[in-house]
Amino acid sequence: MLNYIWISLVVIGILVAAGTDFDAEMKNTYRNDVVMEGRLTITKSPTPIRATIEGVLILDRSYFNDFYGVKTSGEEIRLPVVIQGDMEIPRMAFGLSPDMPVIWKEFVKYASTKDKLSATVHSLEISEDGGTAQITFVREPIRFVKFKGVTQAALDYASIAVNIAIGLIGIMALWLGVMKVAEAAGLIRSLTRLLTPLTKRLFPDVPPDHPAVGAMIMNIAANMLGLSNAATPLGLKAMEELNKLNPKIGTATNAMCTFLVINTAGLVLLPATAIAVRAVAGSANPGIIIGTSIFGAGCATIAGLIAVKLLEKLKYYKKDLIVKAGGEGGPKS
Amino acid sequence: MTDLFRAIVNIVSIVAIPLMLLIFLGWGIVKRVKVYEVFVEGAKDGFNVAIRIIPYLVAMLVAIGIFRASGAMEVFAMLFSPITNLIGMPAETLPMALMRPLSGSGSLGIMTELMSVHGPDSFIGVLASTMYGSTETTFYVLAVYFGAVGVKNTRHALPAGLIADVFGMLGAVLICRILFGI
Repeated sequence: MLNYIWISLVVIGILVAAGTDFDAEMKNTYRNDVVMEGRLTITKSPTPIRATIEGVLILDRSYFNDFYGVKTSGEEIRLPVVIQGDMEIPRMAFGLSPDMPVIWKEFVKYASTKDKLSATVHSLEISEDGGTAQITFVREPIRFVKFKGVTQAALDYASIAVNIAIGLIGIMALWLGVMKVAEAAGLIRSLTRLLTPLTKRLFPDVPPDHPAVGAMIMNIAANMLGLSNAATPLGLKAMEELNKLNPKIGTATNAMCTFLVINTAGLVLLPATAIAVRAVAGSANPGIIIGTSIFGAGCATIAGLIAVKLLEKLKYYKKDLIVKAGGEGGPKS
Repeated sequence: MTDLFRAIVNIVSIVAIPLMLLIFLGWGIVKRVKVYEVFVEGAKDGFNVAIRIIPYLVAMLVAIGIFRASGAMEVFAMLFSPITNLIGMPAETLPMALMRPLSGSGSLGIMTELMSVHGPDSFIGVLASTMYGSTETTFYVLAVYFGAVGVKNTRHALPAGLIADVFGMLGAVLICRILFGI
């Protein structure tokens, strides 16, 4: 199943990107090669030595909105620009500025130069006093936005993944060390014995006094308290212990799947992130979602456990557990 | 009531880690464990575990990244909207429900945006934040946990995890409609 979902994410992503870009090209959503007009307030006139003109480009807001079919609000748009006048076709460059309309800010990401959007000037009529001008220009074409986005995302996420893993090394080492001490002191075993009635039912394949049980209990407890820094290392420790009982390395056991589903359902007593975001957004009662979240995650946990226990009985999933050659090692397959 | 509960859980989660360190290591001393040596012995596996996750996490995050960047989420939200209308789930929260199992940062972004547009105390704001708290990032957890032990055949873990996600989202809609219903 994971194979199909994984490839679907990639294929659907690329196909949708292709479709969107094709559609944008057909409809000219980004209005490439269409002449736009505006006024210019010149702050620095060209001199015989320097042919550049610096100024402020002023675009009428409603004209801009009609041009792109968008709804932005505010006064007229004012953008500082630099015009290179000495070239055969004068070029104008807009730096990324806070006043820039959102759609242009998006364009800047896909422009040919960094943090800048350029345009070719079609006509420039400077008034007699040299202070203002009428200008018409064509913005550089923006194409294959989604394809460029997909490329960037693929590269970015590959390094994000490595960063996440590297970031885990320290806390992983800390908790593995602590767990080793607790194990040696016999603390994990006592903890495990306390919850045996429950864990026996959830993980019938795991001996009730196995270290895996202790690690799983601590992982679930840490998760419920929202201690994600401790929960992940403890969960990985539990996985390693469960893997020691795995007769077929590389294939998930029933206990592993059950444990994973408890984790993905994510029952948390205090959804701290959501509460924090609500508080920042100015909620009168940020904590109002504690109860509803526990209910939602409770539904997820119960449904997940029922599903995992039913699915493990299917022949389709059972056959993966069969160990070829050499008979069955380890506990019940 | 919720304030008291919140305060208690808050305090417990703040003191939990120092307390755990104290009890675990302290108990080790009581039981005459050579704590420093044993700690170092256990900790040295940390590097290997973290490094082992990398290929799994790269595979998973790159696929999710491509999917997110392509704007496929909007297409899916459009396809699913007739079903969600039926159960009284606002169309605005559909991307949230779809994104939650895929990406933690993505769903956090959607939640923040929904709250800034509709207000944190609106039905949509409450529902979005409830959804965020109602399940975990299934694909990420799957990649990390199974990656750490080199499990490639994940068997029924993903379907069961996704069923859990669906019910988590349905549970969130149900409880929000009952308590803050429109």
